[in-house]
Amino acid sequence: MKAVAMRYVMLSQNVMTLGSGIVFPFYLISIKEIGGDFTQYGIAYGLFTICSAYLNGYFGRSSDRFGRKPFLLLGSWGMAALFLLFPLVTSIWQVYALQVAMGVFGAMQRTCEKALLADLTEEGRRGEQIGRYHMGLSLFSGLAVIAGGFLVDYFTLDLIFYFGSVLLFASGLVLMRVQEKSGRAGMET
Amino acid sequence: MTARARLFTAVAVILYAGAFALSLTVRSAMPRGEEATDVGRIVSAKVDKTVAVRTTEDVAAAIREARREGRKVSVAGTRHSMGGQTFYEGAVVLDMRRYDDILDLDTAAKKITVQSGATWEKVQEVINPHHLSIRVMQSQNIFTVGGSLGTNIHGRDPSEGSLIETVDSFRLMTEEGKIMTASRSENADLFRAAIGGYGLLGVILDATLRLTDDVVYTQHTSLLDYKEFPDRLRASVESGSTGLVIARISTAPSGFLREMYMTEYMDSSIPLADADTRLNGERAVELTRFVYGLQRKYGWGKNMSWSLQERLFRSNEGKPITRNNAMRPESGFLEYRDAQKSDLLQEYFVPLDRYPEFVDGLRTLLREEPINLVNITVRYMPRSDESLLAYSRQDSAALVLLINEKRSPARLERLKGVTQKMIGLAEQAGGTYYLTYQPFASKEQFRAAYPAADGFKAAKLAYDKESLFMNEWYAEYLR
Ligand SMILES: Cc1cc2nc3c(=O)[nH]c(=O)nc-3n(C[C@H](O)[C@H](O)[C@H](O)COP(=O)(O)OP(=O)(O)OC[C@H]3O[C@@H](n4cnc5c(N)ncnc54)[C@H](O)[C@@H]3O)c2cc1C
Repeated sequence: MKAVAMRYVMLSQNVMTLGSGIVFPFYLISIKEIGGDFTQYGIAYGLFTICSAYLNGYFGRSSDRFGRKPFLLLGSWGMAALFLLFPLVTSIWQVYALQVAMGVFGAMQRTCEKALLADLTEEGRRGEQIGRYHMGLSLFSGLAVIAGGFLVDYFTLDLIFYFGSVLLFASGLVLMRVQEKSGRAGMET
Repeated sequence: MTARARLFTAVAVILYAGAFALSLTVRSAMPRGEEATDVGRIVSAKVDKTVAVRTTEDVAAAIREARREGRKVSVAGTRHSMGGQTFYEGAVVLDMRRYDDILDLDTAAKKITVQSGATWEKVQEVINPHHLSIRVMQSQNIFTVGGSLGTNIHGRDPSEGSLIETVDSFRLMTEEGKIMTASRSENADLFRAAIGGYGLLGVILDATLRLTDDVVYTQHTSLLDYKEFPDRLRASVESGSTGLVIARISTAPSGFLREMYMTEYMDSSIPLADADTRLNGERAVELTRFVYGLQRKYGWGKNMSWSLQERLFRSNEGKPITRNNAMRPESGFLEYRDAQKSDLLQEYFVPLDRYPEFVDGLRTLLREEPINLVNITVRYMPRSDESLLAYSRQDSAALVLLINEKRSPARLERLKGVTQKMIGLAEQAGGTYYLTYQPFASKEQFRAAYPAADGFKAAKLAYDKESLFMNEWYAEYLR
């Protein structure tokens, strides 16, 4: 049933948003701590976006063939693994490398999430359904930023990476509950 | 889920748990460390960690742990010093900002006891309803009491010396975790060394400060030539009715180091009951920030801002303002976080009568070797030599230079050279420079300006035998 699949996708993506949302706004601090400035922050962020730009098309096409779920899974678990590397970073070059890798997983996640949404929503009610989906997502990203700020203030920056990583991994586990008929067909649970 | 999916999930969980554990293991094997710097951002160091102190026991525990691990300890307030005074390579930094309780307010005796992490702003909020006011503080109120004691700051009130003169006593935790009380009658040597002692004798826990009455001033601003300044300032101070005084000397191309404004906050007969005693919030600072931005970048910006100030002063002429409000001017516009540049402060103290000579020297020097001088304020600093590292051992004009500079090694090296020449000018005129800012002075210049340096070091070593307390500034000049 599409509705059930949709619910799991929503839950999974909400957890995913929470996981990445507690990290991203405070990411700058990590670069600062290894001695970077705003220019380097710009480069790091730009790399992330540019890398994912090229790959969006590729992953989009592949997901039409192989299904969205494998890519979404790889996206969140890959990101979860990368977050485990951030606390170990000692130079700006490692940050750049991680950003490039994150760009790859980010592209999988973003494109396939949108494609999956289109798969799971019904013509005629699509706006309503996407609206509901995004409401949850925005809520969670707001909560994530607040929680992230709190964590950075009271604990260490490393902690938010570990915490975010666990959440990203968990979002993948939730996604496992979504069953996808291969190819273009819809999804069922 | 199918059996296959379940197996897949289980394998994923196990792999992830393994990766997580691996990451944690590697992380904990890595040397701890974080980059520490201050608002000047030209000195930095990799410190072991920063401890956010909340209780006295936190201080004691951090000291014990540092000793056990063979580490040094640095003490930090809001880190508005600008030359590595708040951190040291490999050290544990005590961040005192949350150790900020008001312990006692005795309105009859006009005294307040505060924990050292409290800011002046907090103190003002507590004492304002009681119509009391701080005797000596910086021009802004954003600093901690501990940081202010650590540097023995001074401000705009010409009838007061430096902060030490308003301190009755303080309690300090030593390297052994022992709490000592210091005042003029008890451990007087510690009193004189630790105030203005840059956190090198121990951690000041709390201090009892003398307060004064909040009163209503009226503001008067006059335009004058730098040569008239010593006499005008002296007359103002000696009149006994000047509560606060602050002057500016132009850094604009048009009146470069000649034209001055002097703003006096004069005692008025207006009773406090008739005045607006509510504390100013931070007003809209965006416009000031914008003007400051132009002033940083362009000569015409400096000209414009100079004449804008004239208009501002005229509109404030005769306006009543409470002492407490005059002592919390807007400062948000000073916040400046450029990726490449820093706003750097420097301060020179020159005997009042030799002020024109110093300014002439400065003008000649800066014409030959220009620096981006955004602003100069001039205050009166009466003789105040109680602190061992006293900077004003005679009645002085205190010039604060705000310099905008790129933080590249080449630019800083050049600024260091110019700074040494400026210090040379101050010393020629019988003056000194302030230790709170960049560590640009040569060691000889430091010794010349602070003849008690050896005495200070001896006092430090008497109370801090193992030199547990350390910062980059001390390591540069005294170790
Ligand atoms: C914009 C600006 C304006 C300024 N205006 C003035 C001014 O008008 N007059 C003036 O005199 N100075 C002025 N200063 C300098 C400023 O007052 C000093 O840098 C002061 O130390 C800042 O307080 P802080 O809380 O930031 O101290 P920090 O920079 O954090 O610490 C300063 C020193 O005090 C020590 N210290 C801090 N807390 C303790 C403690 N609890 N026990 C023992 N030692 C401690 C530190 O180890 C360090 O050596 C100004 C600086 C800036 C950036």
